Amino acid sequence: MQALRFEGSGFEYFKIWIVNLLLILITLGLYYPWAKVRNHRYFYANSTLEGRNFEYHATGKQLFVGYLIAMALFITYVIIQNISPVGSMVVLLVFLLALPWIIWRSLKFNFRMTSFSNVRFSFEEGVGGAYVNYMLLPIAFFLALYVGPIVMAILLPTLGESASSGMTGVFITVGIIISLVLAIYLFAFMKKNNTRYMVGGCRYGQGCFFTDVETKGFLIILLKTIGFSLLSFFLFALLAGVVVSATVGLEGLVGIQQSISDLDAMGDIFAGSAFLVIVGSVYLGFIVLTLIIIAYSYTRQRTYIYANSTLDGNINFASTLKMSSMAWVMISNFFAVILSLGLALAWAKVRMARLILENTQVNTDAGFEQYITQKQQEQSSLGEQIGDAFDVDVGIGF
Amino acid sequence: MLIQGKWHAQGSAAQSSATLRLESDRFVIEIEGGLSFSGKLEDLQISDRLGNVERKLTLEDGSIFSTQDNKSIDRLFKDHKKINYFIHRLESHFAWVAIAIICIIVFSFSFFKWGVPWVSSKIAHALPDKANELIAGHTLDFLDDYIFDESQLEEQNKEKIRSRFRSRLIPLEEKNSIIKYKLLFRAWGDGEEGIPNAFALPSGDIILTDKFVELSESQDEIDAVILHEMGHVAHRHSLEMVIESTLVTTVVMMITGDNSGFVDMGLGVGSLLVSSNYSRGHESEADLYAFEHMLVAKIDPQAFSDIMNRITAYMGKVENTEEHEEEGGGLSSSLLDYLSSHPGTAERVDRAMWYSECFKKGLLVCNAVDEDNNKF
Repeated sequence: MQALRFEGSGFEYFKIWIVNLLLILITLGLYYPWAKVRNHRYFYANSTLEGRNFEYHATGKQLFVGYLIAMALFITYVIIQNISPVGSMVVLLVFLLALPWIIWRSLKFNFRMTSFSNVRFSFEEGVGGAYVNYMLLPIAFFLALYVGPIVMAILLPTLGESASSGMTGVFITVGIIISLVLAIYLFAFMKKNNTRYMVGGCRYGQGCFFTDVETKGFLIILLKTIGFSLLSFFLFALLAGVVVSATVGLEGLVGIQQSISDLDAMGDIFAGSAFLVIVGSVYLGFIVLTLIIIAYSYTRQRTYIYANSTLDGNINFASTLKMSSMAWVMISNFFAVILSLGLALAWAKVRMARLILENTQVNTDAGFEQYITQKQQEQSSLGEQIGDAFDVDVGIGF
Repeated sequence: MLIQGKWHAQGSAAQSSATLRLESDRFVIEIEGGLSFSGKLEDLQISDRLGNVERKLTLEDGSIFSTQDNKSIDRLFKDHKKINYFIHRLESHFAWVAIAIICIIVFSFSFFKWGVPWVSSKIAHALPDKANELIAGHTLDFLDDYIFDESQLEEQNKEKIRSRFRSRLIPLEEKNSIIKYKLLFRAWGDGEEGIPNAFALPSGDIILTDKFVELSESQDEIDAVILHEMGHVAHRHSLEMVIESTLVTTVVMMITGDNSGFVDMGLGVGSLLVSSNYSRGHESEADLYAFEHMLVAKIDPQAFSDIMNRITAYMGKVENTEEHEEEGGGLSSSLLDYLSSHPGTAERVDRAMWYSECFKKGLLVCNAVDEDNNKF
């Protein structure tokens, strides 16, 4: 097994990033497609495996038309949203209907514009799968969440008179449990389907990617994540309660509330700042905890997917990304970006790229020498670029 | 000079080590194993320099020579080939980068502080009246259905306000005669806990709540507030708000477009601060409009400060007896200033008093108060 490497540096990327931003501002946004290409090229070309690197091949000119169309659509949407609530609902609905198509186009475009060691990737799944994965399954998931309440609403009135109050309680509990179980199962099922669609549709030259992830695997990760979140949020609430009552006390809190409603009594600076500190640290603690849970779920899923995917059955993958290092980089990046008013963004992105790549392992024994870019029929590339211009992130980290 | 690199046949992952050299205006690539290529320099496609990432030279047959030796490539082809060095030059000189940082900070600050309001106001006034009416749309129907109740004021009282509105205030706006101003009376909140307020819709409808009319002690006070609302209409503030929020959302999306989602959590607070700053600007503008027209109509601007103080005192009383909390507010008075959509009452009262001085001197025009009325 061989780990990928990231050869860029935070400072080098910072310079590229800041010049990109400057040119975007000067050109009132028109430079954006070229900036995006330079960004992508930098990250792709600096990702290497045994001296071979990735490349991003799209050009600014190619992205420009799609970008203009997407921009016009976006501005129209924001205007409609401001004018008429009904109109914005309609637009949103149309967008949601088109979203799977957009994701599919974007996938095809981005895979085709990516190469590793001079061989292009491609995405060969159909648009039907996108509608299953990004429309039907999410809808089914939300329906499942409401199945319990709906069943109760239908059953309770019919049973209402005959059943005792104890029976009603049982029905409510059973309804909620059915809903939750169904929703959790569907979520894991959705994850499995998404992964199979994304990985299974991916080609490297003439080579095919395979994955045999199962619903059960995602189910276990999901249940652990839920347990972990419940436990940690419970402990956090407990801790916050103890800290608040120890430092300010209930009376202090009430006092602060009163001084808030009475604007003239704002002179009590101590109460104001104590209130700020408490609200601020609870808010920050909440964000930190959320990031830790995201890191947990992300790293577990990544490990599972990589361990169960291959290229042509003989090139294997592994993810060694740990929750602790992922959480640390996410949290420190978050604070660095906020405290530097965004200037640390470039450095944060490089750190994250390095962490992820260096924890991606590939079994290179079989070698890449035999792979050759396949000729692809030129489709209407405009559609693909429009999809790409929406920057829909379907979130799979290769 | 010999440049070390690798060679790929077109579309193939297999790589062999290779060298590149120039012979007068021709290049020669020698590949490990004996193969060699040569051709005119014009036929080589060279990728733009980007940091220190591997350089790709594409040959006519689609095969690729790639090398890490950016320096030698730049030196070798400087005189022979057109390569876009402009952006790389910006990126590699510290002075340019420093200038870029300063430009970006200055540019984004001024863009949000002056650019957005200025552009929005230009666009808002350039648009036809249709656009203005479109925004008003069914707003009044909506408010009537869900927020307001029928006014309980006596007809006689209403007619008094209306007739003064027609005879004294509307003539002030002759030049803006496209807008048809109309006074409407509505009740908001029940009985003793009514909410004193006034609203303007882009169509020119001005709504006064019963509690507001009850609280006012003179006709001048009512006129002052009506003029303030007319100021919002004349300046097309509703339309400006729509354009402002469109601009801010678009720009923020563009700058952060390729970020990870975590930064978004900080962004919400940021855009709240920015947009409440804009509406503070609008309130100050509408205040000025009211004061200037009051001087012309011979109404003492002090009336505005009187009614403002009375409403503030009334709202404070209601809040105390009801133990209402002001949502999220009150952390400190300066922070509150940032968050509130109206300028501080004290600030507005001061300005009213300034104009009142002018009024007492019998002036029809008054130099604006010498302070920044649009604090960021």
